Amino acid sequence: MTDLLEVRDLTRTFGGLRAVNGLSFHVGEGETVGLIGPNGAGKTTVFNLIMNELRPDSGEIFFKGEAISRYPTHERVKLGIARTYQVPRPFAEMTVGENIRVGMLPDNLWKMVTEEAEEALETEIGRSVGFNNHQIAQRPSELAMGDLRRLELARTLAVQPSLLLLDEVFAGLTLGEIDQISELLVERKKHGLTYVMVSHDLRSMAPLVDRVIAISFGEIITEGTFNEVVNNKTVQEAYLGQ
Amino acid sequence: MWLLGQLRWWLLFALGMSLLPLFISPGTLRIFIFANFLAMFAMSWDILSGRTGYISFGHPFLIGIAGYTTAMLTYHLNWPLYITIPTAVVTTMIGGTLFFLPALRIRGTYFALVTLAFMELMYHSMQVVQPKLTGGTRGLSGLPTLVSGAVPNYYLSFLVMFAIGVGLWLLIRTRLGIALSAIRMDEDAVRSSGLNTTRLKLFAFMVSAMVAGIAGALYTHYLGSIAPRGIFEINFLFTILVAALLGGAGTIIGPIIGAYFLTFLLELLRPYIPGAGRYLIYGVIALVLYYYVPKGLYSLFERLRERFFRPRPDPQSD
Amino acid sequence: MGQIIIQGFLLSGLYALIAVGFTMIFSVGRVLNLAYGVYIMLGGYVYFVAVQMYSLPKVPSFLFAALAGVIFGVLTYQLLVKRLQGDAIAVEISTLILAVVMQAAIIVVFSPAPRSMWPLVPGVIYVYDVAVQKNILLATVVSWVVLGGLMVFVHKTHIGRAIRAVSMDPKGALISGIDPQRINLITWGLSGALGAIAGVFFATYTQLDPGMWVFPLITAVAVVIVGGIGSIVGSLIAAHIIGFMETITTTLIAAELRGVFTMLLIIVVLAVAPKGLFGKAEL
Repeated sequence: MTDLLEVRDLTRTFGGLRAVNGLSFHVGEGETVGLIGPNGAGKTTVFNLIMNELRPDSGEIFFKGEAISRYPTHERVKLGIARTYQVPRPFAEMTVGENIRVGMLPDNLWKMVTEEAEEALETEIGRSVGFNNHQIAQRPSELAMGDLRRLELARTLAVQPSLLLLDEVFAGLTLGEIDQISELLVERKKHGLTYVMVSHDLRSMAPLVDRVIAISFGEIITEGTFNEVVNNKTVQEAYLGQ
Repeated sequence: MWLLGQLRWWLLFALGMSLLPLFISPGTLRIFIFANFLAMFAMSWDILSGRTGYISFGHPFLIGIAGYTTAMLTYHLNWPLYITIPTAVVTTMIGGTLFFLPALRIRGTYFALVTLAFMELMYHSMQVVQPKLTGGTRGLSGLPTLVSGAVPNYYLSFLVMFAIGVGLWLLIRTRLGIALSAIRMDEDAVRSSGLNTTRLKLFAFMVSAMVAGIAGALYTHYLGSIAPRGIFEINFLFTILVAALLGGAGTIIGPIIGAYFLTFLLELLRPYIPGAGRYLIYGVIALVLYYYVPKGLYSLFERLRERFFRPRPDPQSD
Repeated sequence: MGQIIIQGFLLSGLYALIAVGFTMIFSVGRVLNLAYGVYIMLGGYVYFVAVQMYSLPKVPSFLFAALAGVIFGVLTYQLLVKRLQGDAIAVEISTLILAVVMQAAIIVVFSPAPRSMWPLVPGVIYVYDVAVQKNILLATVVSWVVLGGLMVFVHKTHIGRAIRAVSMDPKGALISGIDPQRINLITWGLSGALGAIAGVFFATYTQLDPGMWVFPLITAVAVVIVGGIGSIVGSLIAAHIIGFMETITTTLIAAELRGVFTMLLIIVVLAVAPKGLFGKAEL
C-alpha cells in the first residue's frame, strides 16, 4: 500500500504546552484511520497542522509523496485533502445548496464568473449525504445538528478530496443520525475514499476504521487494530487520566 | 436575450430616469446628480465591505486619491481629462493595494481602524506636504469640467452610475459573488474549500478602488474643485456608509436605493427645517432605520416581492 | 530641550486622560465606541453653559459636566449598544451615526460658531524657564490622579474586580455570578464621566466647536491601538509615545505634521503588531 499522507516529527507548542510533540505517522491509500486520545491530547491540533490552519514549529508533511509543508491551506485542499470542523461551520446566510456550491467552486476567478454552477451535481452531492430537495433549499438556521454535520460533510465532499479529515463527526448526534453518517462513510470507503477520523465515540468508530492511533500529550502511545489499541494498558490509563 | 430578461427592472429604471429632465427643474436635477455620485461611492464601498465583510472606514481616502490625482494633473500640467481621469483610476487602484496589505493580516475592527487611519493621514498630509502641489488647506479650484449645465451632467452621472450598477450587479450574481460573500461569513472555511482567499479579496479591493476612482475623478470635475475638508472627513464617510447600509449592504441595488433615499430625505426636509436641524433629523432617521432594519430598505422590497409575487414552494413536495 | 520634555509631559497627560475612558469600553465590551468624542464635546459644552452662561461656580459646573457624561454614556449603552452586543461592527457604525447626530444637535443648539472657554485656572507659571499655563498643568495633574484612582478602583474594589473579570472572560464572569450587562452599564457610565472630564480640559486647551469630537476620538483610537487592548498602563505609555512624538514634531519640524506621524504610527503598529505594543486581554 502506498502512503497517501505521511507526517514526520511534527511539533507544535502553545506557550509552554507541547500540544503535538514529535508526532510521526502515515496513512495508506484507501486506508481508514482512527485518531483517539483523551481531551487535549492534540488531535484537532494535528488536523489544523495538516491543513496549515496552524503552522508547525518543526516537522514535515508529505501528501502523495510531495512535501507540502510550505503550501498554503487552499493549495493543500486542491491537492486533495479536506477536513470537517468539530463545531460545524456552515455559511450561515446561504442555503444548503449554496454551501455545497462554495465547496465546488474552481479556484479561478475567470471560471467563477463565466461558468455556470452545476446545480445537478450540487443536488446529487446533497442527496448523497441524505438531504432531500426541500432541505437543499433551506438555510443552516433551520437545520438540526445532524443535518449540519451532514452539510459539513457534503461541502467537504464537494471539493472531491482523496483524503478526508473527520473531526468528531458523531458529536451531538442521535443514534439514528450516527447510523446514517456511518453508512455514508462505509459507502465512500468502498469507493476508495481515505479518511482519518477523530472521535470520542469509540463504539461508532470501531467498524469504520482499519487502524487506530492513540495519542496523549501530543505523542503516540500505540497504534494497531481497534481492539489492540483499546485494550492497551497505557491507552486505558491515558483515558483514565493517570 | 437572456441578459435582457435579467435586466428588465434595470432597463425600466434607466428609461424612467432618462425621461426625468423633461419634467423637473435644473435645480432638482442637481440633487439627482449628487444622488448619482453618492450611489457610485456607496456601491464602491459595498462591493468591498458589504460583500466581503472587510469594513472600510476609509473610503474617502480612495475617492480623494482619484480626485487629487486628476485635479493636480489638470491644474499644474494642463493635461486633458481623457488622460488624467484614467490615470486617476489607476492611481486609486494602486492606493487600493495599500488598503489591501493590512487585510492580509487583520480584519474586523482593526481593519476598519487602519482604513480610518489612512483617511486621516491623507487629511493631514494633503494640507501640509507640498501645499504648492495640493493647494494646501484651500485645495485646488477652477478645474476643468467634462460637460457643463445640469442636464448634460445629469445624463453623464446617471450613465456612469447605471453602467457601474449593472456591472457590479451582474458580477455579484455569478459564483464569484457567492465566493466573496462566503468570505464575509467564514474566511477559514472558504480557504478550506480550496479557494485562494487572498486573490478573491484582492479582486474585491481592486474593483472597489476602480469604482471609487472613476466616481471620485468625475465628481471632482463636476464640482470643479477639491479640498481636504469635505473629502477626507468623517462626515463624508458617514454619508457613504449610511447610504450603503440603509439601502442594504452587499446587494449593489441597496446602495443605489440608499443614496437616492438619503439625498431626497434631505431635500424633503429643506422647506420645513432650516439649516443644521435637517442633518439632525436625517441622522436620527438613519440611526432608527439602521437599528430596526439592519439589512436595509432593499430587504423590505425583497420581502414584499416574496410575499406577493413569488409564493413559497410547497414544503410537502419533494 | 526642557521645552520639549515639559510640553511633552503635559500633552501626554491630556491624551492619557482623553483615551482612558475609550480604552475601558474597548476592553470590557470589545467594541469601539465611536461616539466617545461626543462625551468629550458634551463635557466641554455643559461646563461652558454652566460657567459662562449661568455664572455658576467652577467646581459644581465641573461635576455637572461629569454627570452629563455619565448620563449620556449610560443612555448610549442602554438604548443603542445593549441590543447590538456581540456585533462589534454594528456597534461601531451606530455609534458613528450617533456622533454625527449629536454634532448636528450641538449645531442646532449652539450654532456652528466656535466658542472659547475660560481656563479653569488662569495664569502662567514658569518651570525651568518654560512658560506653562496653569490650566494645562492642572489637566495633567487631574489626569494622573484620575488614572491612579482608576487603577486602584479596578484592582481594589469589588466592582472594579468584576469589571476586570468581564474584560478577561465574559462567560466565566457570568458563571461566577457577575452580571455582564450591569458591569457594562457601569463601565459606559464611567467612560462617559471620564470623557466629559477630559472634555472640559480639552475644550480649554483648544476651543469649543461642533466638530471638536473628531480629534480626541482619533487620538483615543491611536492610543488604544498603540497601547494594545485593555491595558491601562499600556494606554498611559502609548499616550506618552504619541504626546512626545507630536511635541517633538511640532517643535522641531512643523506643527501641521504631527497628525501625519501619529497616523503613520497607527498604520505601522496595526500592520506589524495588531495587538498593540503592550496588548493583553485584560484591563
